[in-house]
Amino acid sequence: MSAPRMANPTTASLARRNKGWLLLRTAVALAAVGAITSVFVAHRSSVNSATVGFCYLIAILIFATVWGFTESAAASIAAMLCFNFYFMPPTGTFTVSDPQNLVALVTFLATALTASRLSARLKYRTKEALDRQREIERLYSLSRSILLTVTAEPPAKEIARQIASMFDSPAVALYDRGADETFLAGPEALSGIDTQLRETAARPGVRRGDGTFLASIHLGGEPIGALAVRGTNLSDAALQSLLNLVAVGLERARAQESINRAEIARQSEELKSTLLDAIAHEFKTPLTSVKAVTTDLLSDSADPLTEQQRSLLTIADEEADRMARLVSEAIQLARIEGGEFQLRREVHFPSALLAAAIRQTKPLTAGRELTVQAADDLPLVVADAGLIQMVIAHLIDNAVKYSPPGSPIGVGARPGEEGVILYVADQGTGVAETDQARIFDKFYRAGKGDSFHETGMGLAIAREIVHAHGKEIAVRSAPGKGSEFYFALPIAPAGSME
Amino acid sequence: MSEGRILVVDDDPQIRRTMKAALTSHGYEVSDARSGEEALEKLRLESYDLVLLDMNMPGIGGIETCRMIHDGSDIATIMLTVRNSERDKVEALDAGADDYVTKPFSTPELLARIRALLRRLSPAPSDADLQNLNLEGIKIDLASRQVSVQGRVSRLTAKEFDVLSYLLVRPNRTIAHRELLQAVWGPDYGDELEYLRVFINRLRKKLEPDPSKPRFLVTDAWAGYRFHIPH
Repeated sequence: MSAPRMANPTTASLARRNKGWLLLRTAVALAAVGAITSVFVAHRSSVNSATVGFCYLIAILIFATVWGFTESAAASIAAMLCFNFYFMPPTGTFTVSDPQNLVALVTFLATALTASRLSARLKYRTKEALDRQREIERLYSLSRSILLTVTAEPPAKEIARQIASMFDSPAVALYDRGADETFLAGPEALSGIDTQLRETAARPGVRRGDGTFLASIHLGGEPIGALAVRGTNLSDAALQSLLNLVAVGLERARAQESINRAEIARQSEELKSTLLDAIAHEFKTPLTSVKAVTTDLLSDSADPLTEQQRSLLTIADEEADRMARLVSEAIQLARIEGGEFQLRREVHFPSALLAAAIRQTKPLTAGRELTVQAADDLPLVVADAGLIQMVIAHLIDNAVKYSPPGSPIGVGARPGEEGVILYVADQGTGVAETDQARIFDKFYRAGKGDSFHETGMGLAIAREIVHAHGKEIAVRSAPGKGSEFYFALPIAPAGSME
Repeated sequence: MSEGRILVVDDDPQIRRTMKAALTSHGYEVSDARSGEEALEKLRLESYDLVLLDMNMPGIGGIETCRMIHDGSDIATIMLTVRNSERDKVEALDAGADDYVTKPFSTPELLARIRALLRRLSPAPSDADLQNLNLEGIKIDLASRQVSVQGRVSRLTAKEFDVLSYLLVRPNRTIAHRELLQAVWGPDYGDELEYLRVFINRLRKKLEPDPSKPRFLVTDAWAGYRFHIPH
């Protein structure tokens, strides 16, 4: 607890200075009583004792109003003694012969003290009201500064600086739990405050001591920091408001920061997307011409091609397809791998997702028996239809490549523990156990790798997309017995129909 | 005799050359335009049966061009694009396109889609099946493909008209998505639910007093669409 010890000298010297002033003012008050007395003693013959009494009372009231009760009480007693000694018969002694004068004297003292008390209290009230008003004004200014100021500095540092300047505090320390850092402001040092603030943040409450207070800052029951301010005498209500204000300020800064982060991420995502679109466009435009020509020539029956022409054109046509697929998949992978891509989650029939993917891959599955098994009463699923269709299309594509020509391919959906399972099964060579773990890696090609159609990206894309849906893709396979690739999709909550 | 007049709009000169050669050899009369602006100008001066419109062009771009074309015309339009996402399809159809082809495409596929668009519903609805409809302030004039709703007149595009008349001659019966798609677009279609969604929306905007609360063109969720005629 080094800080309060550090605070002692300052507070003690302040108190000493205050005491000195009090003594000085009391002396002045007593001197004033002495002055009034000497003036009236000089003209004792011509003045009435009531005049003297009232003059004393006026002086006492002035002291009470301007300075306080201590000064006016001292003046009251001194005045009563002087009044008795110089103006009450027998003068020159403290004895009072006439009981009526005794009553007058007691009445004088009582009046002086009561008037002192009342006007001192009034003065205190006024001061208190002014203090509250200033507190409120400062809190208002602070709230404006906290809510309106935009700086490049950490928000907690700025808030600490604002508090120090608004409340004329020599030292302010603000611990921001989110940033896990303490920020200091003001000319004086608060040594060792960091540890204390951390402790305070963990234990809610306010601790005041020797001109410095330490308080934890909460928002919605969550501790978010702690504040230490020296040299201000805030009322409890103002302190609470200050703490709430700081809490709101810190939280607002944090919210703003996360909005900024999201905005930056969104912009970079947008830029990436625009760039990838432009690349796709540039690569696919020449391919479009090539593909249009090859397919046109291959389909033209009016002027039949020779066998050699046909076979050469078929090569060009297939290579155009391969190039187009490489471009598409490289771009899909780039789009998905960068992370932060947005899923368009909607409710779908599992069978509709399968049907769309099957339609998409129709040119690939020509000459294959494609069986589709999806019960009509399967629950609806939540998925990004475009991406999931891409997954199924890649799996069908994969099945076509790794199974003998003409062998059947099974596509379907079935209920599973984690949701609805979609699968694509082939009767191909299967995936060796050693390959099963790595088959979803980028550019990994299982087996002999003689398939020039394979880009090595399809399964990697499928895995990334399924991951984005919070699920896993897996393969069940035995060499020579074919493979089944499968993944789950989350079931839509009941009643989420179109 | 020409199979039809086609305007190819693409900023890439090789694609315009290829399309011109391929389509001409299949009996179409082909003009080309390098930009949306040029296309609009050509459409103003000459008449065409179909527009092949690239989605990604500098200048006013494919979507905006499509919207401007269909502001004053019901010409059949196929949008060409390198992106194969549902969002792009819906955007293209919303702008007034009738179909959507992803680049690179095969020429036979494109030809099939062109034929499907230029072909009218067969058998064409006869007058016996279809009378001019006049109910609750809505008038449908089948000869001119005009509908007027409380005096507001709009023309239907060929495909919109096909969708509407297919439903209209089968009133109060739910028509399955697949049946409607194949009847209007052709046997190669069947899963393009987004086509129907967009076309029904377009029809509702032209036909329904309150398109957000359709009274005539009713959706039967997950099943199909139905033209509801109150008895």
